[in-house]
Amino acid sequence: MHQLVVAVVVAAVYLALAAISTVVAYAPADAWTVWLSSGVVFGLLLSLPRARWVAVLAGGFVGATAFATWLGSPPLEAIGYGAIEVIASGGAALAVSRLTTLPILFERPRELVALILGGALPLAVTGAVLATAWHVAASSPSPMATFRVWVISNFIGTLLVAPMVIAWSQFRLRRSGGMTMPAFAAGAVACVLFLGSLWLLFDAPTSDRFGGSVGPTLTYAPMLFMALLALLWGTRGATLAAFVGALIVMVNTAQGEGPFAGVEGFLGEAELEVEGYALAIALMGLLIAVLSAAQRVAARTAREWQTRFDAAIGAHRLLAYEWDPATGRVVVTGDSLQLLGVAPARLATLADWLALVAGADRDRVATRFDERVRGQGEADTLTYPVAGAGGGALVATDEARVIRDHDGALHRIVGIVRIAPTVAQA
Amino acid sequence: MTGDVVAESMAPPAAPATEPAPAAPDGVFLIHGLGGTQYDLGSMHKRLKNAGFVTHSLTLPGHGTRPEDLAGVSAEDWIEAVVTKYREVRGLHPRLHLMGMCMGSLLAAVLAQRERHAQGNLVLLAPPVYIDGWATPWYRGLRPLLYPVPGIGRTMKIEEEDPFGIKNEQLRAIVKAKFERGENFHYRWVPLECIRQVDRLRAILMKNAKHIGCQTLVIHAREDELTSLRSANFLVEQIGGGRARMVVLEDSYHMICVDNDREIVAKNVLEFFGAAMPGATSALANEPKMTPDALAAAVTATTEKLAAGDFTGLRDLAIPDLAWVQPGINRMSGAHSGKTFASFASRITQGHAPRFAGFGTPVFNRGVALVPATLVAQRDGATLQSQGALLLAFHGGKLLEARWFADEVEREDAFFGEPEAEAPGTVSLDAAFDAAALASKTLKKAPDNDTLLALYSLFKQASVGDVGGERPGALDMVNRAKHDAWSQRKAMGRDDAMKAYVDLVAQLKEGEGQ
Repeated sequence: MHQLVVAVVVAAVYLALAAISTVVAYAPADAWTVWLSSGVVFGLLLSLPRARWVAVLAGGFVGATAFATWLGSPPLEAIGYGAIEVIASGGAALAVSRLTTLPILFERPRELVALILGGALPLAVTGAVLATAWHVAASSPSPMATFRVWVISNFIGTLLVAPMVIAWSQFRLRRSGGMTMPAFAAGAVACVLFLGSLWLLFDAPTSDRFGGSVGPTLTYAPMLFMALLALLWGTRGATLAAFVGALIVMVNTAQGEGPFAGVEGFLGEAELEVEGYALAIALMGLLIAVLSAAQRVAARTAREWQTRFDAAIGAHRLLAYEWDPATGRVVVTGDSLQLLGVAPARLATLADWLALVAGADRDRVATRFDERVRGQGEADTLTYPVAGAGGGALVATDEARVIRDHDGALHRIVGIVRIAPTVAQA
Repeated sequence: MTGDVVAESMAPPAAPATEPAPAAPDGVFLIHGLGGTQYDLGSMHKRLKNAGFVTHSLTLPGHGTRPEDLAGVSAEDWIEAVVTKYREVRGLHPRLHLMGMCMGSLLAAVLAQRERHAQGNLVLLAPPVYIDGWATPWYRGLRPLLYPVPGIGRTMKIEEEDPFGIKNEQLRAIVKAKFERGENFHYRWVPLECIRQVDRLRAILMKNAKHIGCQTLVIHAREDELTSLRSANFLVEQIGGGRARMVVLEDSYHMICVDNDREIVAKNVLEFFGAAMPGATSALANEPKMTPDALAAAVTATTEKLAAGDFTGLRDLAIPDLAWVQPGINRMSGAHSGKTFASFASRITQGHAPRFAGFGTPVFNRGVALVPATLVAQRDGATLQSQGALLLAFHGGKLLEARWFADEVEREDAFFGEPEAEAPGTVSLDAAFDAAALASKTLKKAPDNDTLLALYSLFKQASVGDVGGERPGALDMVNRAKHDAWSQRKAMGRDDAMKAYVDLVAQLKEGEGQ
């Protein structure tokens, strides 16, 4: 029953997107500017578990067959279009699943490459080849035009819809966490500017609104806002805005408005330009969102690594230091504030460290550090008393090693220091 | 829904009474948050118990099982549950304080208002009067639009997400791991309907907050990601500055009882409840809540123990966190409280036969008594007779803290010897014991009954001491066997019990490896 519901919903969405694609078809060239429907089938295949694939493909088959019938194709031809949809979308989804781990999280550039080159492009080409062959078999005119229109419109449509489906399928309502309110508000401003600027540029004949070449020149402006939006809202926001923005551009251009409609050096030039523009919007938004997410993942990984390291050395009452004898600078890692009452940032030099050593032992410890510099004691262990956070006496066991460069010269001295309490404080 | 209420008490069961016994300790009623358990309140149970309070808690309707069970539970069910529990326990204590965390604080506030609570104070921890924290999602304001949609309230899940209300990265990693392991300490999600009920509860409190009549403390983190300081400000304004005050935390998110500022939370709560804490003698400001006769009797009982050299027995007269401050720079010096007091009592007793003698007339100042005395100890044929004074602090009939002031502390330093540095790489017995206790919970296969009884008896002997209380009846076979096993360890020293426990756990772990 659930499978049937999925199939019916897919078919309905397929038909709805097909209807939108019809609306934005470019009238002067009488051609599809964008074919959005395949994107929903492909996107859902990449979002849902394999157990749902049959239902999704069945929905796509029914949707494609029904739409072809509505366009006037005879039943057998219509079924052929349905079969093409199943083969192209299913094959592309299978290829992507081989190239990257599903579900696609849009956190690695590799995922984006797999989606575009392993999925969207093969989907468009496979569909175009099969459709062209079908046309040839049916003795339809201009098979090469069919191939070109199919490839371009499917590729762009898939890139506009599939990432949006994948990204939003992972949306979960949360009590807290995720995007902060300031980021949402800033992204909302960028979104309004992006869509508003597109509307301003494309919702009127350019010459009426902007004089000279100002209109076509200003087409770069929405790109800037898309970049901001992708940084602030991530993949979900970027894909949704790119979809809506592309529709604004295409609908207005199909109606003879906007900077591209006025340029018609050859039949369909405006259509090609608008397709390129929509593709640029979609790809740029995706690319920036993915690169930004990759940065966040890298930062998160580093933070998790640091948390594990801090927990491990903290549990053992350890501090780690790196001392550069050339400058005297020391970098201390670990909770020295808890152990010694001094924050790591305040232990910036060897003198700061030696100040913690009990007075009677300070000279001895300083001498041993000097010996380390002179290369005596490659692997050196030193025990000395230090002042604890509460002023009590603690024992530091300092195990140092020398790090040398490729030429054998001393580069740094690194050490692990165990801070042990006295028995009375244990 | 009343039938679904799962109520539990951390105190021994007692018949409800309208007039509490004069010596009954104060109680605290703690209420957890939405989707949570007592874990929300961190170590507050323990801290309060150690300070001499009896704590009561309950598992709210729909909690402690599966998130799905929250669907169908209304705000009224939660209110009824806390009111029922409150009426059940309020007669047991001269003073009963209320304390809630997150949604539990909303319930505690509504309870205080409805029951005209005046028997104690009210503590509200991170009350979410407004859901407007910095990490609340952008669509939070849209939720009222979804409430009327049939079916969606039960099926739509609102998930818990990083940062889980915790600023401390290490603690957050622990909580994340607990979620990944599926531990039932907090629901991973709650139904949307549940959020609706919280919204209703918020509305009830916002309407009635001004009628709360008891002394109230609101503790709130400035960086609370779920609810901003506006919530705390609202409550303080409504209740009134004369009755309500606020503590703002600077280094925590929402889960303030487990995050970086948990110690500040505990300290403020204990102070607000009038609990005298170990180390508070310097203030000399504690209200002992004891009659002069009771105070004198407590001093007598304490000096009798000390005269007999029964340091371990002092724990019978004290709060669990009893602190003993021994002066000087020697093997016995330092502030020994809680678990380390047991270690100190064991060390000073072994080989020194210490006792106090020559007690003078005590001088009282509120809950503090200053008693002239002489510390007598023996070691390797040498005898120490060190004169000085004992400062004993009491609260609610219990000894909180004892400080020994020696007239000539150098003599004690010479007698007990210099403090020993712990050898690098060695682990203290306490640490080894704690590690063994943890390791015992990770045994792949449950040991046989005899081994389990051995583990239990050694653990109790090491952590509590000699067995107390009556032997359970013949029908209570399990507890009787445990009691008997523990009895067999009677008079076994704490360190010996710890070592035996550590060895037994190590032996069991080794057995698993073979």
